[in-house]
Amino acid sequence: MSNSAMLLAQAGAEVAKVSTGEAISFWILAPLALGGALGMIFARNAVHSAMFLVLTMLSLGVMYMVQQAPFLGFVQIIVYTGAIMMLFLFVLMLVGRDSSDSVVEVLRGQRVWAAILGIGLAGLLVTGVAEALTSVRPVGLAEQNAGGANVANIGRSVFTDYLFPFELTSALLITAALGAMVLGYTDKSKRRTQRETADARFRGEHDRPSPLPGPGVYATANSVAVPALLPDGSIAPESVSAIIEATASRELATDIETVAGAIPGPDAHALKPAAAKEGDK
Amino acid sequence: MLALQPPPQAPIDAPQIEYSAILPVLILLGAACIGVLVEAFVSKASRWAAQVTLSLLAILGAGLAFVLYVTDSPERGLTTLYRTIAVDRPALFLWGTLLALGLGALLLIADRTVERGGAFVAQAGIRPGTVQDRAQMASGGMQTEVFPLTLFALSGMMIFCAANDLLTMFIALEVLSLPLYLMCGLARRRRLISQESAVKYFLLGAFASAFFLYGLALLYGYAGSVKLADIANAAAGSAASDTLLFGGFGLLVVGLMFKASVGPFHAWTPDVYQGSPTPITAFMAACTKVAAFGGILRVLTVGFESTSWEWRGVLWVVAVASMVIGAVLGLTQTDIKRMLAYSSIAHAGFLLVGALALRPEGLSGTLFYLLTYGFTTLAAFGAVSLVRDSNGEATHLSQWAGLAKRSPVLAWVFAFLLLAMAGIPLTSGFIGKFVVFSAGIQDGMAPLVVIALVASAVAAFFYLRVIVLMFFSDPAPDGPTVTVPGTFTTAAITLGVLVTLVLGLVPAFALDWAGTGTFAF
Amino acid sequence: MTPTYYLLLSALLFTIGAVGVLVRRNAIVVFMCVELMLNAVNLTLVTFARINGSLDGQVMAFFVMVVAAAEVVVGLAIIMSIFRTRRTASVDDANLLKY
Repeated sequence: MSNSAMLLAQAGAEVAKVSTGEAISFWILAPLALGGALGMIFARNAVHSAMFLVLTMLSLGVMYMVQQAPFLGFVQIIVYTGAIMMLFLFVLMLVGRDSSDSVVEVLRGQRVWAAILGIGLAGLLVTGVAEALTSVRPVGLAEQNAGGANVANIGRSVFTDYLFPFELTSALLITAALGAMVLGYTDKSKRRTQRETADARFRGEHDRPSPLPGPGVYATANSVAVPALLPDGSIAPESVSAIIEATASRELATDIETVAGAIPGPDAHALKPAAAKEGDK
Repeated sequence: MLALQPPPQAPIDAPQIEYSAILPVLILLGAACIGVLVEAFVSKASRWAAQVTLSLLAILGAGLAFVLYVTDSPERGLTTLYRTIAVDRPALFLWGTLLALGLGALLLIADRTVERGGAFVAQAGIRPGTVQDRAQMASGGMQTEVFPLTLFALSGMMIFCAANDLLTMFIALEVLSLPLYLMCGLARRRRLISQESAVKYFLLGAFASAFFLYGLALLYGYAGSVKLADIANAAAGSAASDTLLFGGFGLLVVGLMFKASVGPFHAWTPDVYQGSPTPITAFMAACTKVAAFGGILRVLTVGFESTSWEWRGVLWVVAVASMVIGAVLGLTQTDIKRMLAYSSIAHAGFLLVGALALRPEGLSGTLFYLLTYGFTTLAAFGAVSLVRDSNGEATHLSQWAGLAKRSPVLAWVFAFLLLAMAGIPLTSGFIGKFVVFSAGIQDGMAPLVVIALVASAVAAFFYLRVIVLMFFSDPAPDGPTVTVPGTFTTAAITLGVLVTLVLGLVPAFALDWAGTGTFAF
Repeated sequence: MTPTYYLLLSALLFTIGAVGVLVRRNAIVVFMCVELMLNAVNLTLVTFARINGSLDGQVMAFFVMVVAAAEVVVGLAIIMSIFRTRRTASVDDANLLKY
């Protein structure tokens, strides 16, 4: 970074400068955006990652407005941050506890290589861009945006130069709606009655005939995380929902064994025939 | 506040659109939209019939519109819709190929005789392994949304090969990709690996399209426009630093190579080919390859020909990597679908040899190779879907032992297709390799062609291994049976085999057609 | 300070996104990293629109947003379906609340 900063310092001398106000806003927003991005890849919890990404997107939205793209800035905040990121959060909440990441490295040394690759790519892009644009004199969009015509001019090019891509995006949106319905919708019209389900349970079509035992709430504590006791005094492990944090030690047992090397780790080529047999239910 | 009032705008004139030229694409897109309405308004019992009829009519209608236009299309091609789409001879050749391959793939997708109810799940929303899932496995329904999705994907592919600027190309790339991501996850059997392949394909595809986009943005910064012709002009005439140009080009190529499953960007191919329903694998293997190489040819020829001596070395390395990866890793595969996936990676390397030649012979050779490879691979995957045991398709190679004793017809057909992929004379694969490699030699790429010949010799070994296994081993006692296919699958396989045979015996007419013109821009 | 700084920022954001895709294991977080890459592209496009003095870059940024929206819908639907499958394979867990 220091290297490219020096390059920039040289470059800045020759190029048309931006106003002081813009410089101040940039030096506030750019660290925020970068911090958000770094926070996103380093946060263990996926919800935290999403919130960090929201921070980055908001900073970028303000940068668009500063850079003579007012309409795009608002769309960024309303559509991207407001709608798309909220969709992400919604899905994260639906998925629940499993959304936090495992720290087990599936491929040995993958993170180190990714970091090296990333630093290399960043160095390449940053020096490349800095070198390529040392003598650039920005034209600016004052003419196109005169009197608040930014939106009108964008609309004009959408319906002239970009007419075909614009029409084509409708195909994309239809596909998206259709896809969400295909994967999300289940036909509930032929649902079994309670009686039929009970019969089926006793015919052995389900894993167990009775419902799962309730948790030990009110027995010794008032938390659903407390397991119920069986008549012989032992703990009924099924009585606590698998989604509850208290069962983490049970879930973690496999992770611990994996790290210790007792059982083979997750297979990077999970589609091999062995996995195929297992998946073939 | 009055100062904020925008100045009055001049009215927008209606654009000049050559409807007759783009009619095939419009028919497919329109039929896909009608297909979505069919899902909403037609009763569940008659949906399959309605969708199949609609989709077949759409492809045949598009084919008719295509034939009518081709007979008197202008020699030099034309651009329309504000120069976003270029309908020229190479684009028309690719459109014809895509429509014919799309018809074959649609027949495979529509088939319900090989697997009761078709290869697709009845309700994708039901979780695999549950009681409801077992119930739906026994039912005969399928997600008929697959048909409009196929039509969307096919039209996206056609636009991708004709896109004259990078933005249209990007949107078309997404139009063809999104339906494929979805359809990968809809297999009736082995739903877990099918869903897994959808996730892998989606994540890697989105990653690759981000690279494509960043390349687009850098090229926009370089040339001030994303039209391929403008980029070529800027590259030829500008004294500005070329860093943006080559940075943008490199990132763009990563995105394109990913779609074409070339070389080191192939990681998704074996998993996705194995996990998706076989008709979708056939569709992807045949049509996506054609579309992606159509796009690569146009970008390289129209946009970057003037700077070719600077980037060609890099793409040489990519082509070699692709051929070596495909040929060597293909040897170690034990699953027939994975083996065909590695074969497709090797073929992508051969195709790149023709695309790198950047001369009329290279263009026509690559187009012809795409035509032959598309039909051969379509028929091969169609044949793979017929070998089944009680768990669905038997794709492990050991299960194919002695297949010739159970079903000589299928074994001969499959052996013929494998020989075509290996490039044995009297098959279309031989002619395809011959024209591509001779174009490479004419362009002074002899070392690359030698490597390609060695790679195809190595690849021939794993094709021959399957043939030996089928003809000279004893069948296992509990081995798979060969299903007798219904009309649709039979028609698709016959189409593929006949084209492979005919183009091997009398290739002249197709070669002439492929060589009639160059790109318009 | 010049507009080039925005381009440097977007190059860094793009790289961070790419590294995130490679190191994170959670499919949703990986997908968020891809979104970050697309945002970096948009910043590049907007800045080049200003440097080149044409609105084309801003229009293209709109298209990127539309495509991203469609991609998010499809992607999250696919990821949701696999998450639902893998977390619990037994129906009895899902039927817990019905009795």
